[in-house]
This record gives sequence, structure tokens and C-alpha cells, in this order.
Amino acid sequence: MPTASIVVPAYNAEATLAETLASLQAQTYDDFEIIIVDDGSQDATSEIARAHQGDTRVRLVGQANRGLAGARNTGIAAARGKLVGLCDADDLWMPEKLAAHIHHLKAEPDVGVSYSGSALIDEAGCMMGIKQAPRLKNVTAAHVLNRNPIGNGSAAVIRKTVLEALAYRPSFETERDWVFDETFRQSEDIECWMRLMLKTDWQIEGVPGLLTHYRINAGGLSAALDRQLEAWERMVAKLRPLNPEFFARHEPSSRAYQLRYLARRAITNLDRDKAWELFARSVQESLRPVFEEPVKTFSTFAAALVLKTFGPGPITRLGQMKSKLQSI
Amino acid sequence: MEQKKILHLVDDTTAGGVMRMLDHLLAQSDLSETVDQKVLKVKRTAFSWGKLNADVIVSHVVPSWRSLPAFSALRAMHLDTRLVHVEHSYTRAFTTLNVPHKRRFFAMLRVIYSFFDQVVAVSHSQSGWMKERRLAASEKLTVIPPTVDLEQLSRNTMPPKSKTTIGAIGRLEQQKGFDILIQGFRLTRTPGARLLIFGEGSQRLYLETLAEGDPRIEFRGHAEDPAEAYQAVDIVAIPSRWEAYGLVLDEALAAKRNVIASKVDGLRDREGDTRVSFCNLDPYDWRLAINNFLLSNTIEKSS
Repeated sequence: MPTASIVVPAYNAEATLAETLASLQAQTYDDFEIIIVDDGSQDATSEIARAHQGDTRVRLVGQANRGLAGARNTGIAAARGKLVGLCDADDLWMPEKLAAHIHHLKAEPDVGVSYSGSALIDEAGCMMGIKQAPRLKNVTAAHVLNRNPIGNGSAAVIRKTVLEALAYRPSFETERDWVFDETFRQSEDIECWMRLMLKTDWQIEGVPGLLTHYRINAGGLSAALDRQLEAWERMVAKLRPLNPEFFARHEPSSRAYQLRYLARRAITNLDRDKAWELFARSVQESLRPVFEEPVKTFSTFAAALVLKTFGPGPITRLGQMKSKLQSI
Repeated sequence: MEQKKILHLVDDTTAGGVMRMLDHLLAQSDLSETVDQKVLKVKRTAFSWGKLNADVIVSHVVPSWRSLPAFSALRAMHLDTRLVHVEHSYTRAFTTLNVPHKRRFFAMLRVIYSFFDQVVAVSHSQSGWMKERRLAASEKLTVIPPTVDLEQLSRNTMPPKSKTTIGAIGRLEQQKGFDILIQGFRLTRTPGARLLIFGEGSQRLYLETLAEGDPRIEFRGHAEDPAEAYQAVDIVAIPSRWEAYGLVLDEALAAKRNVIASKVDGLRDREGDTRVSFCNLDPYDWRLAINNFLLSNTIEKSS
């Protein structure tokens, strides 16, 4: 039985899967299995996965498309390790990542989920010079709701016992349990981590370092931002009965953070009206982000204002300048 | 034979359930020959409770950082006395919902429990949690569910005759989860169904707002005679968010009522008992359970 299982949900991931798998096979801690869940891909994903089965640590599970949450759940159900890591099929793990989390979880028995920060990469795999450096210690449910320190779907290594505590089976499900709620197409991560914070007594904690390379796909439609906000609201509505007092206290500030995040996404998309609208709503909802993260909030404000007043020109040029500087 | 002196320490603010259990324990006439039991009220935040004269000291005091000095003084001043702690308050679900910094909290419990020769859990679920979180060494842990006198309740109640009225009995506080029950009940549409809520507390206004506009829901206030309250309902709902033991479940069963309970902590000790069904802390789950109960009524009638 391997110590750890790494679940790799893969849907039409032919462009990136091989690189992801190589980064996992190169882990310095070597007692693990890789479970690739081919989530009904129509491209060469399954061929690429099969080509890696020469490595006896690699297992392939196929299924009709169920979405990211469904693919992760299938992988979790197949996992044999006491610890389960998640790595999406377009992200990369640094070689020492698994070792760092295993060491952390062995040393801290009250910690159920160990995560790390991430460096962002673009579609070509180039570093974007942006990092996710979350809070690592003394993380409370309020921190998770406001600023989700687990950050992305390839950051966490989780105890199997924690996943068992989170698992449930909807009455219509015949195959296996759910850990991630498969009715969510977005916000499935934060829904799961918030449920963990509100339904189990496990602590979550991070280890230093940017141990994941998290790939950002450029573009994206503004309609997607609305859907993302909708999913976030549905997450809050679903979990509110667990602890109404907690949500009464923290909902406005966390909604403000969520709106500010979406405003930044709209700025990247150069959508001037959407960016301004989302930022204005964020400030109306709560001023907590202004006091807690003044620089980031002000830069979002400035960018939204420039975009609204002068159009996309200056923002685009700023972006070009920044990438030129980085390439030097 | 010489009587052993047992001293029970309780907080100024000890919950009603603990005092009821102690009253029942002190009233056991078969014990009075061999042991002399006394109850002493102490202040949780005092630095020390002084030198106490007893063969066994049983603490029912709620552990906290502020009571740490008194607990450590208790051990230091009674090195040869057997010290027992009964944990009436803390559970897995309590910690989940009320403790932001869990590791610090577990550290506090580990230190305080380490002063005692024996730690008593009031339910098997609670003891399982204490073992999993390594709060006390397993050879120190014992499970002793609290008991109270239920005979009168049993004598003064008749089995329910219909299946229309759901009852909830307890303090109107967040812990008891009556908000979830009300929301779940409101999702059911059966016109003949009723929900009676017995008890008082700080959430009364909030709960009344949740129930507003649904004439099937009634707040009956504090029930002077519990038997009357149980007699007025056909099934008892216990939607608690946390519950170290849950005396109300024993009461309901003694009053010949079936129970729908939330699947947390001490309430889970009844898993497998056919008179008790379980629900998650989710209004939709409660709707389903309540509908199942109301529906079983119509099925029986039609057969």
C-alpha cells in the first residue's frame, strides 16, 4: 500500500498532461501512486495516460464525463494511500512538494490538510511573476471564507480520514461517495474546504514555499464571471444553516473579497464596465478589504478607473511592459 | 466500614443537565452506606479552590484557559487524592463550530486532562473523539452516560395516538438547532402537520421570525411539566448542532416517543436503535425526515 495517492483529474488535457505527470514522477518522496482519472476526454488524454503506465505507480481510471468534482471523487474513491494529494492535469508539482507535505502531516497530528503557496504560469508554461502566497498558520474558517488559503486545486495534500469525514452519498448516486459536491461547476473547491471548516474539527495549515505551478488560462468571458459569483452565492446558501452566526458575521467581507477578485479578472479581460461594476459592488458590500489589504484594493481601484476612463490601451501597454521586464 | 468521601466540584454556571444528574446520583440510597457525597460550587476563574477534604474529587467544571490555574492547583494540593474529571461540555461538533483555533484548544484540554487520574466521557462518541484527538490516554478514559430519574415521565405519558405533531423541547439557543428544524418543517406542505416548540432562550425572537406566516408552528414557552409537553406531541425532534450526551433523547424515549435527531456527538450513541432516525444539519434533510414521518401516517391509515 503506498503512503500517498496523487489524484489527477484530466479532461481533454493532451497539451499538458505529460508535463504534469513528469513533475509528479520526479517527486523526491517516492512511496506514492498516481491515479489519473480520464473524465470522458475526446482527445488523446487516455493515450498519453496509458503511455505512462510503464511506471507501475501510475493507474488509469476512465469514466463518462462528470466534471472536475466528479473526476476528483472517483480518484479519491480509488486512492489506497493514507494521504491523498490533488493535482489538476495542467498544473505542476515541484519535486519536493510531496515530501514537504508528508513530513508536515506526520509532525502535526491535528492538521488534516497541508497546502502550500503557488507560482502562476501561463499557457506556454512560462512564469507570470505572480504568486499565491497564502496565510500558513492559525487558519480559521473566516480566513478560508475570505481568502481561501488553499488557493487552487493542486495545492493540497489531505489525510484519507479527513476525506472520509467529508464524504456523503446523495440518494441518486449509485457508484461511490462524494467529497466534492458534483452539482457545482465552479466554487467546488471552496465549498469543500468551507464544509471541512464547519463540519469537522480538523485544522488546516500550510508549509512555506511555492510548491505548485498553477496554470492560468488567458481570456474568459464576462458571463463566466457572473456564473462564478452565482456559484459562490450558492455555496454560502448551502452552508449557512451549519452556522448562521458565523455567516452573519463574515459574509459581507468575504463577498467583498470575492467581488474584488472578480473585478481583477474583469480587468484582465479588459471588460471596462464589468470591472467597474464589480469593484463598486465590492466596496459597497464591505470596506474590510480596503483596511486589510489596502495596496491590492487600491491597485484594483486604480486599474478599474484607468480602464473605465481611458479604455484598454494603458492597461495593455502596462501588461506588455511588465512581460518585457520579466523576459529580460 | 468507613465511608469514602466523594466531593463533586461544579461551576457557578453549571448547566441544568449536570445538576439534575448530580441530584439523581446523590439520591441513590444504596450508595449512601458506603460513600458520603457532597457538591461544592467553585468559581471557574479562581486561582485555586483551596485544600479540600475528600478521598475522591470529581470535577464537573468546564475546562478553559482561565480555569487552568485552578485545575493545576487542584492537582498540586491533592497529590494523593484520586481526581476524576467528567467532561460534560466539549465534543467534536462543539469544537468544530465554536473554536477558531483548534490546536490551541486541544493543547489546553490535554494539559488539564493530564492533571486527572481518570477522565469520564459522557458518551461513546465523545470518548471516540477524545481518543482520536489524543486528548487523554486511553487507559485513563471511561464512558459513563449520565442518568436521571425518568420513572415519573414514563408513568405520566401514554403512547402517541396520531402522527401529525412534531415536538421540540429545549433551550432556544443556537446549540439546539431549532432554526434548522423550523426551516425544514416549513418546506413540508402537509396542512394538518404541526410543530410545537417548548422552551425559552435568547433565540426566541429570531426563531419566531423564521416561523412567521406558518400557522402550523407554535411556541409554547417553558414546559413546567415535561410529561405534558411530551404527551402533546407524536414525535420528538432533536436537531442539535452539538450535544455531549443529550438527556432529551432519553426523556423522549421514556415518554414513548420516537425521535428524529441530528447525527452529531452523543446523539450518535443511539445509532441502530429503531426508535431513532438521523438527519444531517440541513433543512432539506429535515424536510425529508418529517415528510417520511407524516407519510407513514397516511400509509397506515389507508392499509
